[in-house]
Formats: sequence, structure tokens, C-alpha cells
Amino acid sequence: MTRPTLKGRSFTRSSAVLLLSFSALAAYGGVVTSTASASSKPVVVGISLSLSGDFSSTGQAGKLGYELWASQVNAHGGLLGRKVKLIIASDASTPNQAQTNYENFITHDHVTLLAGPYSSLLNLPSAKLANRYHYLFVEGAGNGPAVFGACLPNLVFAGGPASATNAGLVWARYILSLPKSKRPKTAAYPDLNTSFSLGEADAIQKMFQRHGIKTVYHTVYPAETVDLSGVMESVKAADPQMVVSGTQDTDGFAQVKAALDLKFSPKYWFMTNGPENPVQFPATIGKQNVTGFFTTDIWTPTASNPGNPQFVSAYLKKFGGKATTINSTAAETYSVGQAIQFAVKKTHSLTNEKLIRVLHKDSFTTLASGTIHVNKCGEPHGNQNLEEWVNGKIQIVWPKAVSQHAPLIPKPAWKS
Amino acid sequence: MTVFVQALILGGLTGGVYALMTSGLTLSFGTMRVINLAQGIFVVLGSYLSYLFFTDVHIDPILSILITAPAMFVLGFVLQTIFLRPIRYNAHSLSLVMTWVMAIGIEGVLSIIFTTNQRSIVTSYANTSWTFGPFEVPAVRVYAFALSIVILAGLYFLLEFSKFGRAVRATSQRESAAKLLGVNTDRVSAVAFGIGCATAAAAGCLYGLIFIFNPNTQYDLIGRLLAIVVLGGLGSYKGAFIGAMTLGICEALVQSFISPQWSDLPFFLILALVLILRPQGLFGLRERGAA
Repeated sequence: MTRPTLKGRSFTRSSAVLLLSFSALAAYGGVVTSTASASSKPVVVGISLSLSGDFSSTGQAGKLGYELWASQVNAHGGLLGRKVKLIIASDASTPNQAQTNYENFITHDHVTLLAGPYSSLLNLPSAKLANRYHYLFVEGAGNGPAVFGACLPNLVFAGGPASATNAGLVWARYILSLPKSKRPKTAAYPDLNTSFSLGEADAIQKMFQRHGIKTVYHTVYPAETVDLSGVMESVKAADPQMVVSGTQDTDGFAQVKAALDLKFSPKYWFMTNGPENPVQFPATIGKQNVTGFFTTDIWTPTASNPGNPQFVSAYLKKFGGKATTINSTAAETYSVGQAIQFAVKKTHSLTNEKLIRVLHKDSFTTLASGTIHVNKCGEPHGNQNLEEWVNGKIQIVWPKAVSQHAPLIPKPAWKS
Repeated sequence: MTVFVQALILGGLTGGVYALMTSGLTLSFGTMRVINLAQGIFVVLGSYLSYLFFTDVHIDPILSILITAPAMFVLGFVLQTIFLRPIRYNAHSLSLVMTWVMAIGIEGVLSIIFTTNQRSIVTSYANTSWTFGPFEVPAVRVYAFALSIVILAGLYFLLEFSKFGRAVRATSQRESAAKLLGVNTDRVSAVAFGIGCATAAAAGCLYGLIFIFNPNTQYDLIGRLLAIVVLGGLGSYKGAFIGAMTLGICEALVQSFISPQWSDLPFFLILALVLILRPQGLFGLRERGAA
């Protein structure tokens, strides 16, 4: 047996020192690399949007709002020094696909943050899924009663100052503020069967009934209904002075088209959705017929919301077009970004639990909601504004303190 | 009573447009035994073409049919030749998949070009209605119904009294025998498919005048169109017409009198009943050897 030589021992010792040195260097390099990776890695935000299907027009508008927000944040250094990167997947306006998208964002793409899709129908199941993984879920276009009824701890609504249940009450308050001689005495309620539209229309109906405005017709139709002439025929037969339509966009346009065919023009017509679409509403029903339609929203291109002129200017610079063609959904999704940005800046963190806590605790300001505070269920308790199509554009008409034009009533007759 | 008659008027007029939409389905099944799942998107494509001619070139949409119908005839001829003819003999069962692929492809192209914004063809007469006592008769729906009847009548005469029509009927009845008699069945099938697309162009124009559409509208349409042709009997034009009128009237009456939630149910109940009692549909022919 040979004993190790001095030469052999030296070699072994040197190798050990070298090995240890390399290990130390590697460890240090790894830390450096990790740190460098963490600071250079983007903040990835996963968003499911309805780029096709029933909500596609608003889904497309929502995408522009998110993209504008991300580009502005990145132009100012990103979030905590990290660029924001959006991953957008289409959900075809279906809840199942929206859930699948968010599951993939979390488990496959390992996104940092999430942002919500369009409509209560998609937001509720998506937020539930995000809650299972303890992800913050800020959304700007899903304020139906079912959404807040679920009281999810991770949910924050940033797309307006009110839930759907309360949003339409501004219409009820306006009508009840009129002298009795000018108030309608009867009302019809043709409603789309979704949480949002039914929630808003039902709340208005209850308030009117309490104050003596009689319901002469009420029906609920499924989302697949293309031809609403039968519904509007029944509305016309009931001869209401006022129509309160619980609608989304497509069926809202279809209701008006059917009413035009039947030469039915009530004195007061409020829609929960449809008239706020500045391009498609006049395009589908004829721009000569838009005057006198009411809806609620907090945003118009010329509204005095904080940051609005800058938003409109940046939007037109990035996407072109005219201010009057900007869809309010873009402002809502932009506001989602603003809420996320506030939370990250306030906590100096990207940890979802911390962001959830601060958004439920503090007030924050966004384009679409103004300064709001949400409760533990993510629901804000402010008021929307009443809007009306007057002089060829949608304008805030009530309350008076923020109105851009006086309300025009009654609604004028159709122009052929 | 007023509501009942008004519903009959509106439902019947709409049924005429559905009849025109289904004529293409009936033609393609009759000649090729192909259930054309792309018929819905062909109608939507027709709507978009008329919409373009109206908004960009300021041609009345009904007049634009003189341009869009021949254009879509060519499209249909080419699509059948490229996609359906190769699989006709070797993998006929794949034709269902192939037409669905065509539908998805065309929908995708339309979504890129036009986005998914809702559209409607709003002409000066789009909102005109004629008043007869307590009833309103929308002018657009009358024009649509009248044009549908004219086109369907033209199709009927073409198929019944022309040489081409005899070739189509021969191919429908027994392709192998028709071939033996010198009929170029491949060409007949391509021309028939083209005619089906051309009628879809006309139907699309009318649909765009009455309703709101975007590329996804094909999903609403194709289910209804298939149900209509199954009720009427695959390959029967008379059956397709009766089926379409039944759908239009049932929907309108139930929506007005019962509830819009149930407006589809009566039609499908009738469909189920007919299929139990007459599996070949109202006017379809039972095949020899069928159970």
C-alpha cells in the first residue's frame, strides 16, 4: 500500500480550496444573478379579456385601457423599477374559458399579478379562482350584486364608485326629483338575464314601486335572444310612459331597433348598458335616433375626473381616433391599473396579500371611480352620474354639480 | 288579439329570411350529402359585404346583392373545389369537420378585418314602418320577405325546369347513375355549393338590415338553420320553407305571450315530435334500407 505523497496532499488541498472558492463564487454569482434577475424580470400581469363573443366590443376597448396604463407605467420606470408586461388571453365571453385563463396564468405562467375581465358573469368565477391562490383581483367591469354578494376577500372593484345595485339609483333619484306632474306614472322593465343588468334594473324598479310608479310590464330574456321584437311588442302593448331596460350592449341595440320597427317611443328611456357606447350605439340604431337615451356612468371624454384630460390625450396619441369614440370600458380598465399601481407604491411590495390589505384599508383615486374606499367585499359605496345623449354626444346631465348639460326630457319622437 | 296578429306578422316576415338562409344548406346536402356548417358564416360574410358596399361605396344594400351574390358564388365554387371535392369519395365523413374549419377560418378573418364590434346596416328606410290600423309592418322586413320569396322561386324554377336543375336532382337522387348518364357530378356539386353561397349573400344582406351582427353571429345562426332543415327534411326546399316559417312564428308568439325565456322551446318540441313520428322530417324522403 502506498502512502499519499506530499505532492498528492498538496494537490488535494489545492483542489479543495479551489473547489470551495468556486462554490463561494458560484453562490455569490447566483445571488447576484438572482438579484439581477429579480430586478430585470418584468412584473407580469395576467388578464383574461373577451376579444370575441357577446362582450367582444367592450373586451376590445378594455384591452386598450390596460395597454395604455402599462405603457405609461413603463415610461416612468415600471412598478418598483420593473417593467410591466401584460399577458392577455381571450375568454370568448365565456366564464369557463375565463377561469381556465386565470388558472393558466397562475399555475403555468406564474404571473406576478392579475387584473379582471369584462362583466360580472366572468369576474365572479375568475375572482373565486384567484382567491383560492390568494391573488389580488382588481377589476373594473363587474359590479353585479352576485359579485359583491360572494364577499371575496381578494376582490376590489375599481371601475366606478358604485355597485350595479346602486349605480342605476341615480336615475331613480333624478326621476323622483321631478315635479309630480312631470314624473312618469307607469314603467316597463325588459331585462337581460345577467347579474349586472338584472341587479341594476331590479333596484331601480323597487325604488320606483315604493314611490308609486306602477310596473305595467316586466320580463327577463336569455342572453341568446337575437330578435327582441316580441318583447318590445309586449312592452308597447303595456303602454308605459317610461322604459327601464336592464341591458348589455347587443341586446340594448336590439331593443331599440325593435322599438323603431314598432314605432314605439316612450317619453323616458333608461338603459343600464348600450347608450354609453359612443360608436356602436349611434351606428346600430341611427345617429338621428340617439337623443334622449339615459344611462349611468362616471366617465365621459370631457368629464372633470382627475387625470381625465391627460388620459384622453395619451389615449388619442397611442391609438388615434377621436375623443368622442373612446369607450368608457377603456377608462375602467385603466383605472384597474391605477389601483394596482397605488397598492404597489403604498406597500413597496408585489406580495399579493399585502396589496389586498392596503386596497381594502385605504382610499384610493382612479380615473373611473374618483376617490373611493371599498368595503371588505371589495364594493365601493359612491354614486354614479346620470348621462344622456344630447346634441349628438353622451354627456353627464345629473346631478347638477357635475353636469355638462341640462337633462332633456321627454325623449323626442323617432326621426325616420 | 292585436299582439297575436302583430307577432304573426313579425314572425312570418322573419321566417322568410330564415328560409332563404337555409336554401343553401338544403342545396349542399341535396347534391353532396354535405351538412354545411359554414352556412352561418357565409350569411354573416354576406352581411359584411353589403355593409361595406353601403358604408364605403354608398350602394343600397339590396342592390349590392347583384355584386355580392356572384362574388360569393365564385367563393363557394372555389371552396368546394379546394376543400370538399378531394374528400368527397375517400373521406366523406370529414366534410362536416371541413366545413366547420372553413367557418372558423372565415370568422377569424372577419374578426381581424372588422373586429368584433356590433354592426347593422342602417339605411334611410331601415326604421320605416307602415301602419295598418293597430299594426306596424316594418318596411325592411317586407322587402326582405319579398326578396326571399323571389330568390327561392328563382331557385325552384332553376332546379325544376333547367338542364342544370335536372343534373342537380339526378346527382341528389343517385350520383353514380347520374355519372353514367354523362353528368359531371363534381362540377354540379361545385356549382350547387356556389349557388348556396350566393343565396347566403342575399340572406346576409337582409339579415344585416334587420338585425345586429358581428363575426360571432354565426353561432346563433347555424343552430337555427340546422334545426330548420332537419324539421323540414334534409334536401327538401318546401320543408325548409315550412320549417323556417314555423321557427319565426313560434318564436314571436311565445316571446309575446308566454316569456322570452321559453321562445325557443316550442320549435324544438315540434322538432322532437316530428322526428319521433317522421325521422326524415316533414318533407324529407326516407332512404331505402333505412330502419
